[in-house]
Amino acid sequence: MTDPNTIQAKELTMSDKLILEEIDADGAIREGLDALEGDSRGDFFRRAAVAGGAFAGGGALLAAMPGLAQAAFTSGDVKILNFALTLEYLEAAFYTEAENSGALSGRTQNFATVVGAHERTHVQTLKSVLGSKAVAKPRFNFRGTTKNQAAFQKTAIILEDTGVSAYKGQAPLIASDTLLKAALSIHTVEARHAAWIRHIAGVAPAPRAFDKPRSMSAVLKAVAGTHFIVAKPAAQRRPTFTG
Amino acid sequence: MSQLVKVEVDDPQASIADALDPARGATRGQFLRRAVFGGGALTLSGVTLSGLPSLALGASASNDVTILNFALFLEYLEAAFYTEAEAKGLLTGEVRAFAGIVGAHERTHRDFIRSALGSKAINSPTFDFGDTTSSDAKFVATSIALEDTGVSAYNGQGTNLTRKTLATAATIVSVEARHAAWIRDIADTTAGLTKSSGGPAPSAFDKALTKSQVQAAVGQTGFVK
Repeated sequence: MTDPNTIQAKELTMSDKLILEEIDADGAIREGLDALEGDSRGDFFRRAAVAGGAFAGGGALLAAMPGLAQAAFTSGDVKILNFALTLEYLEAAFYTEAENSGALSGRTQNFATVVGAHERTHVQTLKSVLGSKAVAKPRFNFRGTTKNQAAFQKTAIILEDTGVSAYKGQAPLIASDTLLKAALSIHTVEARHAAWIRHIAGVAPAPRAFDKPRSMSAVLKAVAGTHFIVAKPAAQRRPTFTG
Repeated sequence: MSQLVKVEVDDPQASIADALDPARGATRGQFLRRAVFGGGALTLSGVTLSGLPSLALGASASNDVTILNFALFLEYLEAAFYTEAEAKGLLTGEVRAFAGIVGAHERTHRDFIRSALGSKAINSPTFDFGDTTSSDAKFVATSIALEDTGVSAYNGQGTNLTRKTLATAATIVSVEARHAAWIRDIADTTAGLTKSSGGPAPSAFDKALTKSQVQAAVGQTGFVK
């Protein structure tokens, strides 16, 4: 007997491969820097883990997350928060650029507007929680994927599915219950985004009965592979020690 | 990025215990994939899963069992709803396709949790869905409510679970969220259906509901006899 779930999953696999091939097709993705992998990633987390300084806190957006801004987090939680913030920076910048490109229309345009606002809210919330410990926004190059509706849809699917798997992978590692509640409330919104853009694009919205988690390193590697992150802001680069 | 969507080959050596151990995430992933690709509920039902019950050794294990039974109750509810809707055969078009796919997911969740709980699993209540499984319009409105409730229920229990059990529950809750967004978008884009309130993703943060809030909401439906 054929399980409809199996059919959906197999169809999804094929179209996912197609997505990757198409995004890789022009070779442009192979350019750029390994922004998050390797030694820059170490730098990223050293900065993130530096202790000290009060949380900036406050902000109207945090009203929805009572207690979040006041909580003091472990260095591990700060690292997870900055990891999440990096992914949210990426998503927010992608949608903002896509909205501004004027290349989207209809349901896809509406999706970009609504989801872009969500991702910007996530960025602001995470930045507020982290205060002075927040990593800076990287520079992005989306390599044309915001200027074409089909490319936008396929990229959005990958980014949202990645976000779901990333939050899922980190949730059990979060020490603070307050932070965990916030992360879980974002996790399922990313899943809603993923299903929504998949439905718009005609791809299975819920391709399997269980969504898979991904580790931080696996997600960072996947993100680095897109070469969407081309540089950290100059002000955030490590100083060169001259003696 | 190719790793992101690569479907890994099933590992026939993977044990069920490994499968549920978050410390061996890759193996668990293989297990879950096997559950999907290898025959869904049939693979899972009747198997005594040693992973979750082993949580009984921990301080919060009895709480995990209570919460998993609460989740099982909700999965019984959802699975029965979709199964009845499919069996009646009155749904059409994409609504019908949705019911088939999501029904299979919910039955897989139900059997997975029931097997994990083993002898501690509650039995299924008896349900009466009235005419909500008899037309696209009523089915869609009810499905939106059930899926949104499922998301809020799992989210509300996240911090009450041990982190180990949360790792497993988290693989289910995002699928419930996908279902919720999907049926909401169907409502928004299908002629003759009432549009959803707020679209597929109505808020930047999904809300959490307590167990008693969920029970009150479910109670109001009159579905549970």
